[in-house]
Amino acid sequence: MSILWSAEGRRKLRGPAAILAACVAMSAALIEASHWFLQKERLDARGASARLKEAHARVDKVRRERESLDQSTEVFRMLVARGLMQPEQRLELVEQMNGLRAQHGILALDYEIAPQRPLAVAGGRQFPAVDILSSRVSVRLRALHEGDVLAFIEALAASRQGFYPVDRCAMRRMEVANPDALQARVEADCTLEWITMKEKRVA
Amino acid sequence: MASRYLYLTNARLACLRLSRGHIREAREFEVSEEGAAAFEAYLAAAPALPTRFITDLVEEDFRPDTIPHVGAGDRQAIVGRKLGQIFRNTPYRHALLHGREADGRRDDRVVYAAITNPEVLKPWMEILERHEVALAGVHSAAVLGTRLLEALGLVYPHTLLVHFSPGGALRQTYFRAGEIRFTRLTPLDHEDERSLGEIVADETTRTWQYLDNLRSFAATDRLEICVLVQPKDRAAVEPALTGFEQIAYHLLDSDEVAAKVGLKPPPRGSEAVAGSPSGAERILARLLERRGIENHFATPEMRRHWMFGQARNIMNAASIAILGIGIVAVVMNLHGIFAASDEDEKAGREIGELNREYDQMTRALPAAGVGGAAMRDAVSFYTTFIQGYPSLTGFLVPLSGVLQDHPRVRLSQLSWQATDNPAATPPLASQPPRVPPPVRSSGKGADVAIRPPAEDASTAPFGGGRYEVALVEATVSVPSHDFRAALGEVERLAGEIRAVKGFQAEVIESPLDVRPSLVLQGRHAEREAPGMEARFLLRVVRKGLAT
Repeated sequence: MSILWSAEGRRKLRGPAAILAACVAMSAALIEASHWFLQKERLDARGASARLKEAHARVDKVRRERESLDQSTEVFRMLVARGLMQPEQRLELVEQMNGLRAQHGILALDYEIAPQRPLAVAGGRQFPAVDILSSRVSVRLRALHEGDVLAFIEALAASRQGFYPVDRCAMRRMEVANPDALQARVEADCTLEWITMKEKRVA
Repeated sequence: MASRYLYLTNARLACLRLSRGHIREAREFEVSEEGAAAFEAYLAAAPALPTRFITDLVEEDFRPDTIPHVGAGDRQAIVGRKLGQIFRNTPYRHALLHGREADGRRDDRVVYAAITNPEVLKPWMEILERHEVALAGVHSAAVLGTRLLEALGLVYPHTLLVHFSPGGALRQTYFRAGEIRFTRLTPLDHEDERSLGEIVADETTRTWQYLDNLRSFAATDRLEICVLVQPKDRAAVEPALTGFEQIAYHLLDSDEVAAKVGLKPPPRGSEAVAGSPSGAERILARLLERRGIENHFATPEMRRHWMFGQARNIMNAASIAILGIGIVAVVMNLHGIFAASDEDEKAGREIGELNREYDQMTRALPAAGVGGAAMRDAVSFYTTFIQGYPSLTGFLVPLSGVLQDHPRVRLSQLSWQATDNPAATPPLASQPPRVPPPVRSSGKGADVAIRPPAEDASTAPFGGGRYEVALVEATVSVPSHDFRAALGEVERLAGEIRAVKGFQAEVIESPLDVRPSLVLQGRHAEREAPGMEARFLLRVVRKGLAT
């Protein structure tokens, strides 16, 4: 074997050794270059895959939003029809109180509408696109029958200018000295919120 | 791949070119200055091929010996020293290892072989050296005889292989149990009046006598003499070979032997193939071609061109293999690159389509006069807080249904609240009955004043009204002092309210508080009313339908 490393051996094997070295270098370079390019392509493909995923998510989101808006549109039309997006018309409420009192045979009616305020909702939930406004309404009334009281409250809550969720109500039977006399038998004390909304305008 | 085989006797140099059993070329050169010059001229024009040199010379000497069984390194040293001692004047020397003795120290059996006169080879080696011929080895024809016996299945305890060498000589090689022990080359005298058969018979008998004198045979041993003859000589040889008790002759037809070892006949009329078509030198060369054998006599210096060639071949093969691996890896990577690129392109197309779809959908989103966000917020507020908000009527209707089944119960007052807190208690001012009951309890905790903590409803957060809580104050008409009936009526009423889906009811104040910690006062007047109205207080909770 040592003869291969002699001067003659080195001289004779110089060519094949150079070819071998060149082949090793060329193979290594080809493998490394193609591997690098493969990794780059895979990275690009992974990036494209991520972008595709994002695009899918974006389209899904807008699709859900569209579906949600499709559903919301109907509800919103109803809300608009209820005057939810209009400012408070207090005069109309005063007139409505008067009308309802006569309609339901309310013998006595006291009411108070507090100043309008932004309504804080439970859980601190925020609605960035609209202002939720409310005026607290307290109603004290007397009637012959509790059915009249309930009908009055129901009619008030169904008013077409905003929403009127009644959150407290106390009804009490009144003692009368003369059962045959026409006088109030039921007394009620209720509070409710008169809720309207206003779209926030971006300056 | 073709190889060249040079078969040297004392009279001739046969030059053979073999390729897979085919003799492509066969020439003979005289052992003389003219022959050497002709050989050199031939070699200068012939293609460079790996070359093996087979010697069939008178100067070959074989000496059996035994040496202690030692490790490989020590054995090599011992053998080298012995060879140097025995064959001091020649570089062409070799030791054949034949295994171990069966008894005693079980020494290693060795046969030392050498070409005792290196001058015989010198001119030919110089020519090979001048032409840088790749000499793979110098082999002894006598030793190759072992291969021939193996190939023909001639396994005898004592065998004498006899064949004719180019230039007219008779080679006799004695094998004991397949191991070479002795060889002898006898030149054939052309002026000898004996027939070829008689010569063979005489020479083999002489050899037997010599071996017998060396006590090579036991009394019952027989020497099997295998004579390789050309078909044309068979008729001249066979009649003379009559064996006897100690000698048996076996004639080996050289054509048949050539066929057995895979030596194919040369093409008809080929001028490049001179000499006998199935001569012993061709058969031995073919055996050497079929399966390589260790070099016998050539020194590393003589074989260096062959070693360079081998190394060159290995490096070239390695170069091709490495390049091949590289190409395969590149092809695999390219496949991956194309696949990834396709995937990338496909994803790009899909992204483009999705973006177009997104744009179309975004443009087509309904606005309804206000911004989409305002619509969403408005609808969200409505669905979360308003849509499922309870009403007083909705609470009282099922309660009234239960009260209808209890005509003795009369509702005095009710305080109702929609809240998100199921523990909330609406405010209620207690109304004492017009006629106090004949028995009443007093003491700390007897009068449960329903005074909830002060709460400013105007600042409290607006909830979705998930619970409705009500305090119901009522009286039950029962006979005077029949508190058991009153208690039973109230418990039944509470139970029936609880039976309504979503309702919970508990008695806060019962018609008669019978807790031991309280003072109980009763009064029986002289004139008593036949009945009484027992007051009680219920707390009713309804879980909202939306929750």
